[in-house]
Amino acid sequence: MAPFRSVSDSMPPSTTPEVIENDLQPFFVLHKASFRRKDRAPTAQAKLCKRSKLSSSSPESVKQLEGSVTKECDHHLFQQPQIEAFDIVWAKIECTIKDVLRDLNTSVFHDIQQWVLECFNATKLLGEPTISEATRSFPVLNNTPGKLFTALVSTRNIEYVDDILTFEELGNFLKSHGSHVAMLSSLEFSLKNGIAGCLKALLREFLGGAIDVADISILASWYREQVNYNKPLVLIINDLERCCGSVLTDFILMLSEWVVKVPIIFIFGVATTVDIPRNILSSHVLERLCPSRFMLGTPAERMDAIVEAVLVKHCSTFSISHKVAVFLRNYFINQDGTVTSIIRALKVACLLHFSMEPLMIDPCNSNFLEWISSISITISLTVSFINCNQAINKRFKCTVYICNFLTNTILTILIGVFTSFASNQCQFVDVANLQLMILIFPFVQCLYEAGKYSKVRLLDLFCEALCQDLYLSRVSDCHVGGEKDRGLSSTNDPCQQYSVMQSGGFIGQIVRKVRDLPTGALYQLIESWEKITADISESLTSSRSVNYIRMEIIGVLSLKCPIFAWRRSASKISINIDKDARMLNSQAISFLDCIVRNFLRPIEGMPFHEIFCFKNVEKLQLVLIGDPRRRIQVDLLEFHKILKCSCCSKSGNALLPSRHDSSIVYSLAQEHGDLINIHDWFQSFRSIVLQHKNKRKQKAKQSPSPKKRKVMNGSADQNESSIQARFCRAVTELQITGLVRMPSKRRRDFAQRVAFGL
Amino acid sequence: MALENHITKAVNVLRSRICDPKFIFSNDSPDSNYSKLKFMISSSVTEACNNSILLLGPRGSGKNAVLELVIQDLLQQYPDSISVIRLNGLLHSDDISAFKEMARQLCMEHQLLFSKAASFDDNSQFMVAMLKECGLAHKTVIFVLDEFDLFAKGKQRLLYSLLDAMQSITSQAVVLGISCRLDADQLLEKRVRSRFSHRKLLFLPPSMEDSQSLLVRMLTLPIDSSFPHDYAVEFNKNVRVSFLLRFKETLNKYLNIDSSVKDLLRFLFCAVSHMDLQTGFLSRENFEVAFSSIQRHPKLEFLRTDCSELELYILVCMKSLELKEQSLCNFNSVMKEYKSVHDSFQTSRNACLRAFEHLIHRELICFTDNRGQSLSVEFRPVKLLISPAELHQGIGANNSCPVS
Amino acid sequence: MDKDKTPQLPRRMTRSSTSSSVSTSNHVVAAEVNSLEPLTVNDLLVVGDPISLDDIISSFPGRSSQIREIMRLLGPLNSPMLPLFVYGGPSTGKTSIILQLFRHLNRPLVYSSCRTCYNHGILFESILNQLLLHRKNAANGYSNAKRCERPSDFVNFLREALTNVVNNLKKSENSISNKMTTKGKIGNMIYLVFDNFQLVREWEKSSTILPLLFNLYDMLKMPEVGLIFISNTSPDTFYSNMGYVEPVPVYFPDYTEGDIRQILLRNQLNQKLYSSFLDVALHSFFRITSQVGQLSATLKPLYEKYCEPLSDKGKGVAHNSEMNLRLSTHIKPHISSALNEIFKISSLASTEAKTCKEEKLKGKSRRSEQSEELGSLDFHMSTCAKYLLISAFLASRNPATLDASLFDSRGGSDNRKRKRKPSEKALERKETLEEELLMKGPGTFPLERLLAIFQCLVSVAEDSSDDDEQNNNALGVQSGNGSLMSDILLQLSSLCNANFIFKGRSCPIEGSTRYRSTISEDLALKVARSLKFPLSKYLYRS
Repeated sequence: MAPFRSVSDSMPPSTTPEVIENDLQPFFVLHKASFRRKDRAPTAQAKLCKRSKLSSSSPESVKQLEGSVTKECDHHLFQQPQIEAFDIVWAKIECTIKDVLRDLNTSVFHDIQQWVLECFNATKLLGEPTISEATRSFPVLNNTPGKLFTALVSTRNIEYVDDILTFEELGNFLKSHGSHVAMLSSLEFSLKNGIAGCLKALLREFLGGAIDVADISILASWYREQVNYNKPLVLIINDLERCCGSVLTDFILMLSEWVVKVPIIFIFGVATTVDIPRNILSSHVLERLCPSRFMLGTPAERMDAIVEAVLVKHCSTFSISHKVAVFLRNYFINQDGTVTSIIRALKVACLLHFSMEPLMIDPCNSNFLEWISSISITISLTVSFINCNQAINKRFKCTVYICNFLTNTILTILIGVFTSFASNQCQFVDVANLQLMILIFPFVQCLYEAGKYSKVRLLDLFCEALCQDLYLSRVSDCHVGGEKDRGLSSTNDPCQQYSVMQSGGFIGQIVRKVRDLPTGALYQLIESWEKITADISESLTSSRSVNYIRMEIIGVLSLKCPIFAWRRSASKISINIDKDARMLNSQAISFLDCIVRNFLRPIEGMPFHEIFCFKNVEKLQLVLIGDPRRRIQVDLLEFHKILKCSCCSKSGNALLPSRHDSSIVYSLAQEHGDLINIHDWFQSFRSIVLQHKNKRKQKAKQSPSPKKRKVMNGSADQNESSIQARFCRAVTELQITGLVRMPSKRRRDFAQRVAFGL
Repeated sequence: MALENHITKAVNVLRSRICDPKFIFSNDSPDSNYSKLKFMISSSVTEACNNSILLLGPRGSGKNAVLELVIQDLLQQYPDSISVIRLNGLLHSDDISAFKEMARQLCMEHQLLFSKAASFDDNSQFMVAMLKECGLAHKTVIFVLDEFDLFAKGKQRLLYSLLDAMQSITSQAVVLGISCRLDADQLLEKRVRSRFSHRKLLFLPPSMEDSQSLLVRMLTLPIDSSFPHDYAVEFNKNVRVSFLLRFKETLNKYLNIDSSVKDLLRFLFCAVSHMDLQTGFLSRENFEVAFSSIQRHPKLEFLRTDCSELELYILVCMKSLELKEQSLCNFNSVMKEYKSVHDSFQTSRNACLRAFEHLIHRELICFTDNRGQSLSVEFRPVKLLISPAELHQGIGANNSCPVS
Repeated sequence: MDKDKTPQLPRRMTRSSTSSSVSTSNHVVAAEVNSLEPLTVNDLLVVGDPISLDDIISSFPGRSSQIREIMRLLGPLNSPMLPLFVYGGPSTGKTSIILQLFRHLNRPLVYSSCRTCYNHGILFESILNQLLLHRKNAANGYSNAKRCERPSDFVNFLREALTNVVNNLKKSENSISNKMTTKGKIGNMIYLVFDNFQLVREWEKSSTILPLLFNLYDMLKMPEVGLIFISNTSPDTFYSNMGYVEPVPVYFPDYTEGDIRQILLRNQLNQKLYSSFLDVALHSFFRITSQVGQLSATLKPLYEKYCEPLSDKGKGVAHNSEMNLRLSTHIKPHISSALNEIFKISSLASTEAKTCKEEKLKGKSRRSEQSEELGSLDFHMSTCAKYLLISAFLASRNPATLDASLFDSRGGSDNRKRKRKPSEKALERKETLEEELLMKGPGTFPLERLLAIFQCLVSVAEDSSDDDEQNNNALGVQSGNGSLMSDILLQLSSLCNANFIFKGRSCPIEGSTRYRSTISEDLALKVARSLKFPLSKYLYRS
């Protein structure tokens, strides 16, 4: 169990809720039933329930993750060094991710806060009751009926997993800006609890202590106490879809009776469409609400932000190959579009990478272990070093340092493993490639800046940029393009000459967009480019690398300069003629073209990328969409692939009594329809087991099919009972794994198969 | 000002009379229930024997009031040999709370302290013991069981133990059951009924003459110092004369509809409260207004004033669907009908749905079943709650009536 | 330390009734909350400046007859009354009129709304709290004066408390009667008001509570107590198997169009403009509904639209006939649209403006692009979930018997032509199908059927999907059947959570749970469009 422990404490010690959220998904798959039950659980406050869910979920998923990892790579690879390296790197990545996500939300949060204040003042205008009025039972006398202000915060994702955290953050944000916040979840608004349940929860949220008799007047008198008075009361319900309509109706009507005394403000999280309230509430309730809507970022936007932050901007240590990128993209689009799952995917990839990267060398050779550990340590050190200072030239040096280190150690420790490292200038090539590899990302970002105008998702762009064969095609026609623009420089349409224009895919799309971009937008674009490429230029001064790279880069920058010159001049003389604009566009395109030709080189193109780049899609796929149900069935049926025992290996798929009970039972169940007569099932199971006994008892005459009376011997009854016990246990195991459903009250003698084929 | 004063005073007097049952039934003609009941109870008190009586009669026929009068008088007659325990079927229908309440009242009667924590058995034993004690002390315990039929609901342990305790010679108690179910004694189990002495007092609604005389008696002001003499005389004359002449038929019309004393009192109450404070005399209009304000047809009112045009359309469509003997109709079928009936008046589905919900809240229509919460409103089957005749009448009366 | 005294204080508090008038005065700052004098009988009065009857009548248009009737029935000072039953539609001014009348009469009342007190226990306790002049605060842990669940306890406590209060009233009346005129007198009557009484019928104990409350007057036998029931529904809907003496009914009819005009015209700053607006708008709405709440809710945004052409948003503008004409022509289209709108997200415009403003200063056109235009999905669903949703929609739309004719049994690879023309049997079943769809709504289906359909759809979609978008192939899409098929239960559960699929109880005949898709057809079409999936081919009633 050493690997298990090591992995479980390889999780960052302070597991932030986000990490925990990440791990919710597999939990749902495996334990859907239990989750549903939790969902329907009448009792328990929201937070506690959530907590328990999470806490119970995280070990689950860790286990699964760990299991899938250990399945692949041998346990002795889980040495401390890798773990430490992983910890450092992942901690960095994670905190960047969290920052990015928070930054995405802040603007919306500020809007909401502002809106809350407006609503609060509006309700104040309805009349400020005196204390004796406010604690009275009858409504305040004013002609205007009080309305409940309601914010419909549409988290435009049908999965609500991302948003639990978002709404908690929102709650804390509002709290910090001086308003009482109560977070309720749909668990309270269930038919079983009724109105009493949600009132209790509401009071608990606001007052803290548990109240035996939930009564809204308590809230009123609490609110009128000095410390609590004159702050808005915000009630956040983060999944409106799952609330029970009738209960919510009663709740809203009750609160609308008290709206002047208790100025409560709703914030509903709406996953799908904003007219959900219309579907679950009745019209006489709707006219009590005064709704307004806010939009959170779509998961796609969050995705882009994360990819930009982790893979492009903060390029270091660990990036992913084209295949992996494509897989992530498809997983996001097809499987589930939650950011949390993507983050989890990244994490898994990172973990796998760090655990498997030394596999380049034959692992069974044991005296490389310390080498592996040492190299991983150095990697981790350099990694942290790289992360802490962002300037390109530092990165450059570090990478050079890595290479030097590698070659030296390898040269000293083992000769002939990496013959490619033997000679020096190939090392220089590597260095150059490495530098280029590092340079690719800022340019991808440049492309993305341009791509924002034609609504290209960064992830797609990223995939395309990393794609090997596309690169090859580009390289092939780049020469032609080169000839072209060297030959005829002044044509009437300068844009047509560039090879990028013809190239299909997202890049071509972007470039075409850029060609007919209005001037103002173009300025903004160029400014962003300038920002991005600034550090490159200053890195060049310090780069002591081979000439042709410098040539290229300088070429690019020289190509870049006139654009900026244009911009400045145009900004100085505010009149911009059509011709200038066209020139500018063509310049920009040439810039893009140059980028694409020279710098968009996929990482896999160069040696050494294994250190940085995680390529192994299959493993990732296994971890993410492992399809556990199917795996379970497969393992039950072809168990001998796992435990390679002698008996089964020779006797193919025949039912041998030496098999494990549950696997016997399941393979017997295959013969039945989707309803299994338990008696037959048991009989066949018994016959198989007894046949085994017979064999062992009298070897002389072996009967293929045992007769009942034969087994009626001394220890028959205890046999029977033990067999029954084994059968029961096996069936229960099948039920636990969710392959059969136990007999219902109606049909006591039939179990039902719920496994949907292989 | 002075006029104002004694007019309001007169109104107060009349209203307090109406609201005070003792005044109403305090006429002891020899054959009235009052004298019968008084005789029975007082005999059982004086002869120190057990007794059990049922007072049966429709609601508001004054069973309670008469009983109260009787008990009051008896308490004055034999102040220290009677203790009264009052139970109400609405409150104490379950045995536990019944015994508890009984024990509580017994404790209050005899200045014992009552423990809330006492269990069911404690209380029942305590009651039996108290009965014995009272019997020895020649003190009659009068149990008044209001809403008697509710006590006869469950396993009737209360009644059984009560009547069973009364079988012993020493105890002397009177059980008075009050119920508006005339078959109240049929509800009793055999073991209870065998112990029950079947004395019944029927309280019948007053005859026309009785009610008229009662009305006159209620409405006559006392000729004494409390009112200026001439005003009182004038008022009484006005009442008597105008009653004999004019608002007799209004009264009769009303009494034909519901004739119990309480209803009569309601009628009088409305009339008196509508009395004109300027003149200070009851007029015929008061009675007619009262009559119209008591006799209401809520559904018709809803149809007449509350329903908008669209809602009326929907109702008409449902009616026509019912006439077509369609098995069950829901919002969708109604909408189909509506389109077929009336295509020109384009209204969106949403608005119709809202009107539909409004009708449901008004309970002019209702869902046929409580199942199918999962279905949205437009699929759940509904049925009309008003007869086509009512609908027709209402639509005829509606001021914003669609021509169709 | 005075807090711990508060629970038992109220009994003898009435001596300081004169001093307590301070606490009920209109300006009490929040600072005083903790240093409050305990409540007195005066706290049972409706606070506020004395208001004359004419003011009330003028402030409630079209209600004068009801106001007068109630005044009559309440009667002069110290006059007992039979229980009243006030009923009428929502927002017809029942509650506020009664409260205003009590403010005018200056008599003590105990008000309890059966909506706020959502079961009998809380109703009892709130009544007792008010009668015992109990105030909840942090000191006593917001507890009630008395715990009582049982009706019997309630009646005992109630009688005790009522006698207490009434005696206090009488005492105070005798003490102050000499120096005060009849105007300021509180009188010795106390009134219990039950609002939203119709809700009592839905309580679980309603069979016992309803008769109890109706017979409360006879049970108490206290002439000083007046009962007033306020209900949305008429008295004949309060049927109870054991009868009761009916209270005196008072009916509040809905407002007529004229009344509604006056009500809406109240507190509008530009009366003339608004009236001209009502001339245009009101009647067509009045045909739909006659409820003030809905009308005002719908008319408010419309009026803002109406004022849009005006320069100063219809403040003190001197307007004339042709401008009215202009405005009315401007408003006409909006009226018809507003007629069909139930639930208007009214302040959507402002927030949208805010968001796009800040988009400008962020220089990003992302969000405005995502603010949904018609026909496209404005929230994210994974492809798998979309297919699952569509298959659920089909499963509950089409009868199970037609699946075979629609889909190939082995996951239709070449069932295009069969889809185009469904079999005859299907065709003749069509109208019966429509009929029952109209009546029963979407049908239910077991999980197995859903999965079967889902497999067919996915397989079809995959062999159709390889030609349409080519860059995916360039990127090497490998969304294989397996990859889509996996985690279906997860997707299903998240669909159930989103209310798109209703997960029913387990059906009694065969033990498996049945599902039903509750999405509307246009949503399904949207989803299908986002997948480029030919939904109409599979759907009946095309």
